[in-house]
Amino acid sequence: MFASIVSYGLAVGAVYALIGITYNVMFSASRVFSFTAGMLGMLGGVLGALFIARMGLPAIVGFVLVLACGAVLGLVTEVLTVRPVLKSIEQHLYVLSTLAFALMVQQLVAVEWGTEAQPFPRLIPIGPGWLDQQFWLPMLACAVTIVGLELLYRKTLIGRAFLAIAEDSYAARALGLPETQLRMASFALAGVIGTLAGFTGAEMLLAFFGNQSILNFYGFVPVALGGMGSNRGAVVGGLALGLFQQAANFLVGGIFAAVAVFVVFIIVLLLRPEGLAGAAAARRV
Amino acid sequence: MSITRRKVLAGSAVGAASLASGLAAPAIAQNEPIKIGYLPALTGPSSSTGIGINRGTVMAVDEINAGGGINGRKIELIVRDTQSDPTKAVNAVAELTQRQKVALIWGPVNSGEALAATPLIARDKVPMLHPCWVDELIDVKKYPMAFRIAPTNTQVGGGANYYVVDVLKLKKVAVISDTTGYGTASVNTYVPMLKAKGAEVVYTNHVDAANPDLKPELLRMQSAGAQAIMPWSVNAGFLSRILNTRGAMGWDVPVVGQTTLGSGQTKALLEKPENWNKVYSNNFRQVCFAGGKLPERAQEFVERLKKAKVEMGDTLLWWIALGWDGANLMAQTFKTAGTKSDDIVGYWNKTKDWPGVYGTVTWTPEQHNGFPDTEVVMCEVNSLKDGAFNLAPGYSA
Repeated sequence: MFASIVSYGLAVGAVYALIGITYNVMFSASRVFSFTAGMLGMLGGVLGALFIARMGLPAIVGFVLVLACGAVLGLVTEVLTVRPVLKSIEQHLYVLSTLAFALMVQQLVAVEWGTEAQPFPRLIPIGPGWLDQQFWLPMLACAVTIVGLELLYRKTLIGRAFLAIAEDSYAARALGLPETQLRMASFALAGVIGTLAGFTGAEMLLAFFGNQSILNFYGFVPVALGGMGSNRGAVVGGLALGLFQQAANFLVGGIFAAVAVFVVFIIVLLLRPEGLAGAAAARRV
Repeated sequence: MSITRRKVLAGSAVGAASLASGLAAPAIAQNEPIKIGYLPALTGPSSSTGIGINRGTVMAVDEINAGGGINGRKIELIVRDTQSDPTKAVNAVAELTQRQKVALIWGPVNSGEALAATPLIARDKVPMLHPCWVDELIDVKKYPMAFRIAPTNTQVGGGANYYVVDVLKLKKVAVISDTTGYGTASVNTYVPMLKAKGAEVVYTNHVDAANPDLKPELLRMQSAGAQAIMPWSVNAGFLSRILNTRGAMGWDVPVVGQTTLGSGQTKALLEKPENWNKVYSNNFRQVCFAGGKLPERAQEFVERLKKAKVEMGDTLLWWIALGWDGANLMAQTFKTAGTKSDDIVGYWNKTKDWPGVYGTVTWTPEQHNGFPDTEVVMCEVNSLKDGAFNLAPGYSA
C-alpha cells in the first residue's frame, strides 16, 4: 500500500507540478492566469499517441513534434487570447478568452480524436513496478524542468530579462527590453512545459480529451498552495497534492478522496491565503 | 342461379362501399412511397451504435423495395443524422412529423437523443419505434405511440445479476460505478435488485473515472470477500483500469457488466490480452454463439449479410440485426395494418412473439417494452467473431 501511494502519488504530483509551472511561466510574463495550461497537458498525451502510436513515428521524433506543437500553441494563445485583453487586465477578461480558446481546442480534439480514452505507447520497455516509465518519467521531467528553469532564470541574460518583465514590466520596457517578444517566448516555453507534462504522464492518465479539465484544476491547486509565480512552491505543492490525493484514495476511497483534497485545499488557503511558499503581497500606500 | 332482390341489394352495398373506400382516394396515393422518419446518430461521439444499426436498416429497406415494396408502394427512409446531439434530433423531429408527414419514426438510436425527441414525437401523435435502453422512454400513458424493440436498463442489469447469482452461483458481489448519471443510477437500481435475489453486496462505491490508480478500490473489494465485480460505466478508460489492476494483482475474480467491457476501446487499453479473461458483458441470446454455433435465425442472417457484402468486422452483429429487425417489423406493420397512426399502434399493441433476428418482440396495450428477459444474457468478451460473441459459461444452450 505504501509503495503504491508513493509511486502513484509522486508521479501524478509531478504532472500537477509541471502544469502548475506552466501556469506560473505564463503568469510571470503577463500577469495573466491562462487557463490553457490543462489544454496543453491534455494535448501532450493526445498528440503523443497520435504521432507515435497512430502515425508510427519514432518516439524521439514524436516527442520533439509534441513539444514543438506546444510551443506553437503557446504563441497562438498569447496572440489570440492574451494580447488583446492585456490593456484592461483589471477586468480579468483573460479568464474568458483563455478558457474559451481552451474549450474550443478541447471540442476539436473530441471531434477529431474521439471522446474515448486511448492508450499511450510504452516508450521504454522496462518494468513493471517502480521501474515502469509511467512513474519515473513524469518525475524526471519535473526535475529536469525545475533545474532547467532555475539555470535559465539565474544564469542567462534572457532568463534575467524574463525576471525583469515579471518584476516590473513598465520599468523593464523603459530599460529597452522587448516586452512583447519576451512574453511570446514565455508562452512558447509554457507550451513546451505543459505538453511535456501531458506527454510524460500520458501512460498513466491515457490520451483522453477529458484530462483537460482535471489538469486545469489539479494543476492550479499547486500554484495556489505554493504561491503564485513560485516554481519551487508549485513543485512542493504538486507533489504534496499527489501524495495526499493517493493517500486519501487508499484511506477513504471513491468520490470522498476528491472531497478530502478540496477540504485540505480550502483549509490551507484560509490559513495562508498567499500560499505556503508565497510572500504576503505588500500594498504600496 | 336466380337473381333475388336481397342479392341485388347486397351487391349494390358492396359496390357503394368499394367506391367510397377505393375510388375516393386519389390514385397517386396508392403509388407514392411510404415515408419512414429515421433518426440514427451516424456521426459524433455516440455514433458506433448508429452506424451498425444503419447497415441493417438500409439492407432491409433495399431488400423490401427490390421485392416490390409494400403492396406496390416503396419504402422511403427520410434519414436525418442526429450527430449524437439531442438538439439536432429535436430539430429533425419537427421536420419529419410536420413537413415530411412521415408514417412513423424509427429512432433515435441513442438514449440521450431519444430523451429529448420522444415527448415531441408523442405530441405530434406519430408512432415511434426505438431501440434505446433508458427505462423512462417507455410510458404508455405519456407516450402511447412509443414502442421499444430492445431491452430496458433494468432488464440489462437484471440479466447481469441473474448471471452472477443464478448461473455462476456467487453470493458476494462488489458493485462500483463512475460518477456519471448513468453509473450512479445503475448502481442505485441494481444493488437492491441483487439484494432481492439473495446476494450480499459486500462493497459498493462511486469512483472518479479519472483516477489513474484503482488498486485501492480493488483491494477493498478483495478484503471484503467479493467473488464477482460488477462495474457500471460506459467509460472504457475506467473499465480497462479495473481489468488491468485485477490482472496486476493476480486476482482471477470474474468481472460482469455493461457492453463497453467488451468494446474495442476497452481492449485497446488493456496492458495484457489475458486481462480480458473472465470478463462477461451484456449481450443477447439470439445473436450469441452457443457451442460454436449461432441460433438458426442469426446464422441465416449472417449468410444474408455476407451475400450482400455488408461489413461486419468493424461493428457488432446485434446492432446490424437490430436495424434489420426494426425495418422488417415496420414493413410488416404497413403490409398488415396500413399506414394510419392508430392502425399502426393498434397492430403493435397486439404483436406477440414476433420472431426477430435480434430478439423476440411482444407488446400489449399496457406494456410497450417488447424484449423478453430471457434473451438478455452475458457473453465472453474475448470471443468476438463475425461481430458476435460466445455465450458466457454456465448457460444452457
